[in-house]
Amino acid sequence: MRMIRRIRTISYHLAAILVSSVSVIAMIWVISASLRQPGLPPPPVIEWIPNPISWSNYQRAFELIPLGQYLLNSLLVIGMAIPLTLVTASWAGFAMAQFTQGTQNRLILLAIILLMIPVTSLWLARFVLFSRLGWIDTIWAIIAPAMMGSSPLFILLFYWTFRRIPKELYESAVLDGAMAIQIWRVIAMPLAKPTIVTVMVLTFILYWSDFISPLLYIKSTEKYTLSVGLQMLQQLDRSNWPLLMAASVVMITPIVLLFGLIQRYFWSEKGIFNNL
Amino acid sequence: MLNYRRTLRWMLLPYLMGTVILIVIPAIVTLILAFTQYDLLSPPSWYGFNNFRDLAQFDDILPRAMLNSLLFVLLAVPLRILGALALALFLEHRRRGVGLYRTAVYLPTLIPDVAYALIWLWVFNPIYGPLNQVLEAIGIEGPGWLTDARFALPAIVLMSVFQIGEGFVVLLAGLHNIPRDYYDVAAVDGGTGWQKFRYITFPLLRPWLILLTLRDVLLTTQNTFTPAYIMTGGDPYYATMFLPLHIYKETFEDFRYGSGATMTVLMICGVSVILITVFVVLKGWRNQNAYD
Repeated sequence: MRMIRRIRTISYHLAAILVSSVSVIAMIWVISASLRQPGLPPPPVIEWIPNPISWSNYQRAFELIPLGQYLLNSLLVIGMAIPLTLVTASWAGFAMAQFTQGTQNRLILLAIILLMIPVTSLWLARFVLFSRLGWIDTIWAIIAPAMMGSSPLFILLFYWTFRRIPKELYESAVLDGAMAIQIWRVIAMPLAKPTIVTVMVLTFILYWSDFISPLLYIKSTEKYTLSVGLQMLQQLDRSNWPLLMAASVVMITPIVLLFGLIQRYFWSEKGIFNNL
Repeated sequence: MLNYRRTLRWMLLPYLMGTVILIVIPAIVTLILAFTQYDLLSPPSWYGFNNFRDLAQFDDILPRAMLNSLLFVLLAVPLRILGALALALFLEHRRRGVGLYRTAVYLPTLIPDVAYALIWLWVFNPIYGPLNQVLEAIGIEGPGWLTDARFALPAIVLMSVFQIGEGFVVLLAGLHNIPRDYYDVAAVDGGTGWQKFRYITFPLLRPWLILLTLRDVLLTTQNTFTPAYIMTGGDPYYATMFLPLHIYKETFEDFRYGSGATMTVLMICGVSVILITVFVVLKGWRNQNAYD
């Protein structure tokens, strides 16, 4: 009996390791390609670890285009989008959690409908709208979605978190004469730390990865974000794979590290997604 | 107390305002522009249904783009949903290392679209790309992938099948919401693994699966833009020309905002038809099951 259980456990882990490896295999290939010495002819057979290992592609990527500037631009966008998103999304979620059940259900439905809207169908009209507002070629066009909490999912995440806080806690504070904003700041937000961290990380990822908004709305090359910069690098040197892969790794690494921060909340049984 | 309620409504306001400005108004603007000719410089001029007529008469690429988008949805959505379901069932239980495995499965979904497209552009490289080198090592001569009109669209389907983290997370949550007691009762009655799946897991997961499928239809139609734009530009022979890319070219490269809007309206209608069909089919399937 113990033997059978043992075999089952081992085969489970073998299968899981296989699935995980297939899932991340492309990333392993990319890292290996990015470390290949420039100038060498491409390898004729698959090469897992390049020989010699060379970091110069990373240096070269920053020299060829102003990748450092684009990195700063991306961080500026994110630096503005995160606080805006946190405030609008948590306000909306906080309010939602305290409305009557009927209103709550209608707002959940609204969020689900909004999650279903194809963004590509909004490009054109948003472009027209933003040009009227004079937002084309400004950062406002990129961070505009932060006005509405960036993603309806973030509002739902805050809503689920705040709904779990006992109503008596709010009610006694209201009787003491506290204002809604005070209750949000002093009672609700401190109890929502995992959600705040999760939404911050997800917002970071959203704006860091956003390619279409800067592609459509940003015209001056010095205002490009990393994602458009990466595409520019591709146009400059289409077949320099080690260089392109190095720049891709620059773009992926921060996201993977940040996800490491929140994976605990992501996968725990009491995790944020368990209210879905 | 009244004051408190009013403040709560104010706190919801930015979200609702943003929704109106960024979604409701653009939707109305698109619908109006679809019936005009507009180049953004001079004011739009009324053109009635002529945009629709012109597209039907002169745009040979549009039917191709529609067909490709439809084909892509039909291939990618079932694969993605089944993949997410299989992975969620496989990695459902708490065991040592499961967090790591789940993270590995979720990782491709995290990668920014541009980097993801570049990575796969290299993976699919016919000569130096790792995919064909692996295939060669096991004695298969890999195709030209993105340069071969028969393989370009399936190649983009293939790369989209790795980005199923969202469905995976949602289905994991769905699985965790199923009360343990149900399984305990089934175990007492001597239910097999398949029976447990068939009569407990699957029925309780069905609403999630329906919602996910609907969202995935929408996601996959749009997510073709970045890969097609970065990797193929719609080539070879329009084999990867999808609706979003075609709309982008018409609007932002040829500056025809009117007919771009018309195509957008057509795209929304097409997607709605697919959504309604999927919904009706999945619903009907449930009713049928109720009798056995």
